[in-house]
Amino acid sequence: MGAIGQRLGRSTIASAALLAVVWALTTAYTQTGGSSRVLLISEMLSNFILVLGMQVFIGNTGVLSFGHMAFAQIGAYATAIVAIPVAAKAKSLPDIPFGLADTHMGPVAATIFAVAVTMVIGAIFGIAVCRAGGLAPTMITLAALFVVDQVVKNWGELTRGAGGLTGIPIIRGNGWLWVGALVALVVAHQFQETRIGRFSIATREDELAAPALGIRLFSSRYAAWVVSMGLMALGGSLRAQSLGNVNPKQFTLDAGILILVMMVVGGMRTVSGAVLGTVIITAGNELFRQLGDPQRWDIERFPDLFLGATMLAVMILRPGGLLGDRDLAGWLRRTMYRRRMHEPVEPNPGSDTLHAKSIIVHFGGFTALDGASLSVRPGEVVGLIGPNGAGKTTLFNVITGLVDETDGTVMLGATDLTTAPPVLVARAGLARTFQNLRLFKNLSVRDNVALTSAVAARHRSHRLRPDVDDLLESAGLLEFADRAAGTLDYGNQRRLELARAVALAPEFLLLDEPTSGMSDTESLAMVESVRAMAAKVGAGVLVIDHDLGFITRISDHIVVLAEGQVLAEGTPDEVRANPAVAAAYLGSQA
Amino acid sequence: MTKLIQTIVDGLGVGSTYALLALGISLIFGVMHLVNFAHGELITVGAYTSYFFFLHGGSWWWMPVAILASAALASVLTELVAFRWVRNASPFTLLLTSFALERLSHALWQIFISSKQRTFRKPKWVFNQFELLGIKFEVMDLVTIGVTAATMVVTAIVFKRTLFGVAVRGAAEDFDAARLMGVRANRVISGAFAFAGLLAGVAACLILMRTPSAEPTLGSDWLLKAVIAAVIGGLGSFTGAVMGGLVLGLLETLTRAYLPDVATGWDKFAPAAVYILIAAFFVIRPDGIFKVSHAERV
Repeated sequence: MGAIGQRLGRSTIASAALLAVVWALTTAYTQTGGSSRVLLISEMLSNFILVLGMQVFIGNTGVLSFGHMAFAQIGAYATAIVAIPVAAKAKSLPDIPFGLADTHMGPVAATIFAVAVTMVIGAIFGIAVCRAGGLAPTMITLAALFVVDQVVKNWGELTRGAGGLTGIPIIRGNGWLWVGALVALVVAHQFQETRIGRFSIATREDELAAPALGIRLFSSRYAAWVVSMGLMALGGSLRAQSLGNVNPKQFTLDAGILILVMMVVGGMRTVSGAVLGTVIITAGNELFRQLGDPQRWDIERFPDLFLGATMLAVMILRPGGLLGDRDLAGWLRRTMYRRRMHEPVEPNPGSDTLHAKSIIVHFGGFTALDGASLSVRPGEVVGLIGPNGAGKTTLFNVITGLVDETDGTVMLGATDLTTAPPVLVARAGLARTFQNLRLFKNLSVRDNVALTSAVAARHRSHRLRPDVDDLLESAGLLEFADRAAGTLDYGNQRRLELARAVALAPEFLLLDEPTSGMSDTESLAMVESVRAMAAKVGAGVLVIDHDLGFITRISDHIVVLAEGQVLAEGTPDEVRANPAVAAAYLGSQA
Repeated sequence: MTKLIQTIVDGLGVGSTYALLALGISLIFGVMHLVNFAHGELITVGAYTSYFFFLHGGSWWWMPVAILASAALASVLTELVAFRWVRNASPFTLLLTSFALERLSHALWQIFISSKQRTFRKPKWVFNQFELLGIKFEVMDLVTIGVTAATMVVTAIVFKRTLFGVAVRGAAEDFDAARLMGVRANRVISGAFAFAGLLAGVAACLILMRTPSAEPTLGSDWLLKAVIAAVIGGLGSFTGAVMGGLVLGLLETLTRAYLPDVATGWDKFAPAAVYILIAAFFVIRPDGIFKVSHAERV
């Protein structure tokens, strides 16, 4: 509770600080000009809320959505329908259904109503959006935008069609908009601090590695989606109440893209970036609108020139946005994960054995695995070797649920993992690394490890969990803890991936070529590293490597795979003495 | 029955235009993982090119050549000025870059020509009708379906039989491997853009013969449908793009023609029905009709 309070405090300070800067700028602007400038500020503030609404979903999950504006529209219409006085409603919407004819709410109640309605409708759409992978979610959001647009235009009894609704009681001054902006800022900041928020960021960084470490794609994305729906509704509702009217033209794809550009130009990964983008684009857009005015150059779409050029320049020069990962809240975040001091405890090895039995995998006509079996006992280190194309990585992928086997079973003790998806395999206690490194590159070194540690806290609580900084120290990475993982050199990235897997407190570590690309001395050091790290959590190890020196030193037991079958197995010495192994490696008949 | 056949012919007509555009989008996605939202602007380029030539005494006899050439040229140009500089960026960055180009194109046409619609002459025979088995067809329907079919055959031959086609397919499969095999990245990508431009040019001809007018945002509406079609088919799959285009075209015309009759009382939701179906489709098959596995090594 104290920790949450502390984090909430930090989010609020960061939000208030950002807003204070914007407030100072805008006050200077409105003081020096006419009252029309106040209108521009209202527009900027509602943009602000909408940008943050998009940032919570798109910025954190990396899933592009074209449909967010549809939910701002639902929020705006919901507000209009309950806020327009009963007498006026009788005239403009005589056939209004659901007994809404007699409903009337004040501004605050109407706003809350709108947010609630939108979150419910959004939650239904969200199930479809967050289930799918790849580009499908983007297409579903685009379809959602058109669905809402068509329903609004055609459901005349409720919305008065394309003409829109007028007569919404106008909230004077920008006071409520500032309050709304502050709420949006705190929510957006706070979301990134929550565990589920951090998980959604992990899915953005690597859609494949996150589930392999026990992070569920759907639930983390869905949480971001529902929260962002609330903010979109807030933005739509306040915009409707500051303009006094609402119509479908305010929520077109183009209007949504304008908001999207604001988010991307400043840097969508951070809240500060979204804020900066809003200020820059709103101001620039207004400037170009005035230049394109009929009295001047008479170019209606002049702002498009500004938008296009700015976005093109940002994408080419700074694809992460102007701020990238720099964030005011990040400055305030001193040590987010406080070090737990505890007595060194001797971890007890797990009691389950990992079995993969008679695994068969066909890729089209090619048989990658042809009845291979292996088992790893608790605390044991098993090396898996074999020529290229022998099926080693495929076997890893089968065990961790990334590839579906044609036949065979995978068991962890009495638990059947044969058909389990990667996320459940990870939670059951198998943590893996990848042949071609899959770190959360834009996150700090510490956050990479802390994320899996958070999964472990929830799903591996029966095991002894290592402390994050302790792990970093053992991996020799503590001095780089606050650097982005992608900036580490290759060897350190490998060590970080190992530490990240260990943080899951697994029963077995599955390491796919941990020494690839390392020098001989580094590789030798890796033997001790892997053993020490595994011992910390009492995990057994299954390791693939091409470096025979490394494998024979580290393994208790070696399995040799060739053409999808187990060719030989035994202690390192037995395997070395086996003539069939030499033949498979050297290609000669023994 | 007559209504059904005419609706289907209409649907195939619109659908083949989507298919031509979707094919270009799918092709570009295949070689560089870019969902090109600037692809529709090539239609706009074609439209203003014809407008310009008709001002100076153009004729529909050779206009298609001008449209195809200008669209291909513009396509290659977008790669040179923009996409080349973000080639290895994330698909998200690539997509937004294409968005930026789309915005720029809108603005530039307005600044240098006008925001108003400019119309020009249409070929005389377009709306001539003829009767087949007691059903009336427009000549343009026949031309649309015929031209699309011919284009598909040419495309298939190019990608199956020519060195360029094999290089592009190889690059789509695994770009790094293709490079190691001596495929020149710049040349293949430029070639793919040129080809996608030609396909967009064919689509532009078909669109402009029916409605000979140019305006800055002409391409945008077509583009969205084409992107949806390409993703329905499965991005990167050529057969998929064609199928996706035809399915979308048929879906649109059939729901428009029949849904109001079926669902009385719910007729206000009929226009939304197509999009609900599209959303439902992506929930059931997120990878499209033809899943293209980009064998990612892990």
